[in-house]
Amino acid sequence: MGKILIVDDTLFMRTLIKNILFTGGHSIAGEAGDGEEAIAKYQELKPDLVTMDIVMPKMNGIEALKGIKAVDPAAKIIMCTAVGQEQMVKLAIKSGAKGYIVKPFQAPKVLEEVKNVLAS
Amino acid sequence: MTEVPVKVEFNKEWIVTKLAVSEDRMVFPAPINKEILFKSVLDVSEKKNILIVTVKTDTEVVYKILSVEKVLQFLKVRILPLCNAYRLMAYFMSPAIRGGVMIKEASWEKGSVVVVKSGIWFVGALKQISVPITEVAAIELTKRDVQGKPTEVIKIDYLESAEVVSSLVLCPISTLQVLYNFLKDTTKSMDMKGTELDGVDQQVAMLVYSGMDSHAIENMLTIPHKQLDSIYDKILTLGIAEVVIIRREIQLTPKGVRYITDATKSQTN
Repeated sequence: MGKILIVDDTLFMRTLIKNILFTGGHSIAGEAGDGEEAIAKYQELKPDLVTMDIVMPKMNGIEALKGIKAVDPAAKIIMCTAVGQEQMVKLAIKSGAKGYIVKPFQAPKVLEEVKNVLAS
Repeated sequence: MTEVPVKVEFNKEWIVTKLAVSEDRMVFPAPINKEILFKSVLDVSEKKNILIVTVKTDTEVVYKILSVEKVLQFLKVRILPLCNAYRLMAYFMSPAIRGGVMIKEASWEKGSVVVVKSGIWFVGALKQISVPITEVAAIELTKRDVQGKPTEVIKIDYLESAEVVSSLVLCPISTLQVLYNFLKDTTKSMDMKGTELDGVDQQVAMLVYSGMDSHAIENMLTIPHKQLDSIYDKILTLGIAEVVIIRREIQLTPKGVRYITDATKSQTN
């Protein structure tokens, strides 16, 4: 079970991910609504894992991923992507993301990916 | 004629028989005693290891043929090129994308796209993949890099084991638009305006997809049970969800309250 930072610009998606993670027995380290806040919260909270939305205001998920990787190369980050963003996922994996989950989310798939990445 | 071992559903029973197959027809021996010309086949679909063939003679008759994959593949390769369908030579990549991510080993395969009543078939020498119309989520004209050049292709998104999978079709530009229009028309019954559900309704639908139950949805969206119930009604009426379980909320009667009170007393004494 891990301490997780949820990054998404919509409260609804953050609440959904939070609920799914709770059902899997994980705890929530914190939440961030954009890429800049994600980097700051990562340094402050030192979570075991980050779920990162790709399309966000101020700084997008790919830039935030790079920013977090710059301060902690071992950071475990799962990208949250929508169907049709396959090029973005390729770029994210190249930039160091450990996994991805696809919107709309299905609880078992999210928990499986989180489990895999935490164990990696 | 080549004879292949199959089981055929006849009078609601599976009978073991040998199906005789030639270039343009197949013959069911007794007790079925039917000769089927492939050009009279109106529809072909597949469920696990059963090939479902609809034939139009005087009336429409459905034949269910059960066999091993090798035999079914042989039948599909014979029936699909000749059956009554919209057919087009094309290159296809199926599946190309699974869950939003490109499949590494996916490659373009030469074959045909066969559109029958119940689905779209990608027919190649090595594989025959069917996509039921009811599983198609979207069809769009898009561009993909083919041998380094951005090229127009048709992308068909569909659900497979609750996961969105995409297949790509590549053919000359002149026929691409025709195929696109035909596919759009074939899947018209699945189209929705996109305005049927408002913001909260859509959130409820998304939460249902995510596996949340009524209680979790009410808590997450902070909506009362009555409102959720009416949203469920709207979703059900649209035919985009179905009832899987009806839960009950109960309240104790005085007899029940007495029972629980007594039980608590005996635990604390």
